[in-house]
Amino acid sequence: MPDHVTPQPDLRRTLRLGVAGPVGTGKSSLIATLCRALAGELELGVVTNDIYTDEDARFLRSEGVLPPDRIVAVETGACPHTAIRDDVTPNLIAVEELESTYAGKGTPLDVVLVESGGDNLTATFSPALVDAQVFVLDVAGGGDVARKGGPGIARADLLVVNKTDLAVHVGVDPDQMVDDAAAVRHGRPVLPLSRHDPHSVTTLVDWVRGALAAHRAGQAPVDPGPMAPHSHAHEHPHAHAHAH
Amino acid sequence: MTSAELVALMLADARLPTGGHTQSGGLEPAVRAGLAAEDPAEVAAYARDRLRTVVRVEAGTAVVARHLALAGADPREVEPHWAARTPNPALRAASRMQGRGYLRLAQRIWPAVLEHLPADGPGSPGLPRPLVLGVVGAVTGLSAAQVARLVGYDDAQTVVAASLKLLPVDPAEASGWLVRLHPDIEALTAPALTGLVDPARIPADGAPLVDLHAQQHTTERMRLFHA
Repeated sequence: MPDHVTPQPDLRRTLRLGVAGPVGTGKSSLIATLCRALAGELELGVVTNDIYTDEDARFLRSEGVLPPDRIVAVETGACPHTAIRDDVTPNLIAVEELESTYAGKGTPLDVVLVESGGDNLTATFSPALVDAQVFVLDVAGGGDVARKGGPGIARADLLVVNKTDLAVHVGVDPDQMVDDAAAVRHGRPVLPLSRHDPHSVTTLVDWVRGALAAHRAGQAPVDPGPMAPHSHAHEHPHAHAHAH
Repeated sequence: MTSAELVALMLADARLPTGGHTQSGGLEPAVRAGLAAEDPAEVAAYARDRLRTVVRVEAGTAVVARHLALAGADPREVEPHWAARTPNPALRAASRMQGRGYLRLAQRIWPAVLEHLPADGPGSPGLPRPLVLGVVGAVTGLSAAQVARLVGYDDAQTVVAASLKLLPVDPAEASGWLVRLHPDIEALTAPALTGLVDPARIPADGAPLVDLHAQQHTTERMRLFHA
């Protein structure tokens, strides 16, 4: 048995926040929104994992929300799931280098956002890489996706149902989608988001401030799965079968 | 009870978390430059050419680093000799990044490596991958032949596995290429290489096109692999 899992450095200043979810749900856009809202009050860095290295990094740089050298792209060899879950080495090196560089400049980072390459519903971050994670769905991906569940949907620290402004165009009831998600999340937060709805953006930004405060207060990362032990998700009978 | 055989199997397993999934052994830029455009089997020829050139430098460096660590000398003596034989800065940087991946893992699971190498951490320049592998081999009881074979196998398998992501290749066919590369991998375990003890005697074979492709890759926009 592994007797030392993750060495927990004594209360690291920086919150490492993962953003995962299927392709096209708006992960890069969400990160750009966060940077736009928070760059004035927090020191931020971003690590991206696009399928083709630097598409997301280029998007974020072109948005002008952060200085270009605060945005780093990491190759994943077409293995986006591996890069955030079972071999986090290159991402962890990139995160630590960003933190170390800005600590050395006298402006230590408050938050490093790690953007997963778009992957399937089972991809979640390892607690060895991030302290907290956001899973992003969008209404255009289909109203039934939230109900299907999965580790990110059920147990990420925050579930975002993005692009609610498009719901009317794709025949999805966003309130129903949020209710479905809430049902599998057992009280964990669900946030309907549209970047055209300032109130929803404010709620998102406040959640990140809260996650940073919780991290600095010593809150340990919670691993969403693949199969979380002690799960009471009755919709998933196998969760018990595989619990340790 | 552990065994050197088990350590060698672990190190050859791509599931070991050292960042190996980011590497293509230069295959991605080679394919972009036209390799295997008509015949996917050119991938095997490419891997063989590497085994006969740049991989000899890697294997020789690892073997000498292992020897120096076992002899109580500083294995980092191999570093300038390796660098002189690895003229491309992009390849040196990629090797150092991989060396960081191996050392970060090794210092957790085989902490005896820290009797020979400084720990990796934020701001580390990174040590060449074959230097780290050689020291891991020294502290885990691998023979010089096991270290050389590991370097050769890992390089060939990196290229072959990356071909599945880059080209329309049947995975079973690719495994056949790997089998046919066995003689070239085993050739690295000949005494001329495994008996090396002097950093100055590390082979100096080169493959200029590999260097050229590696350099082009650093400025390429659409990359799947780091190198």
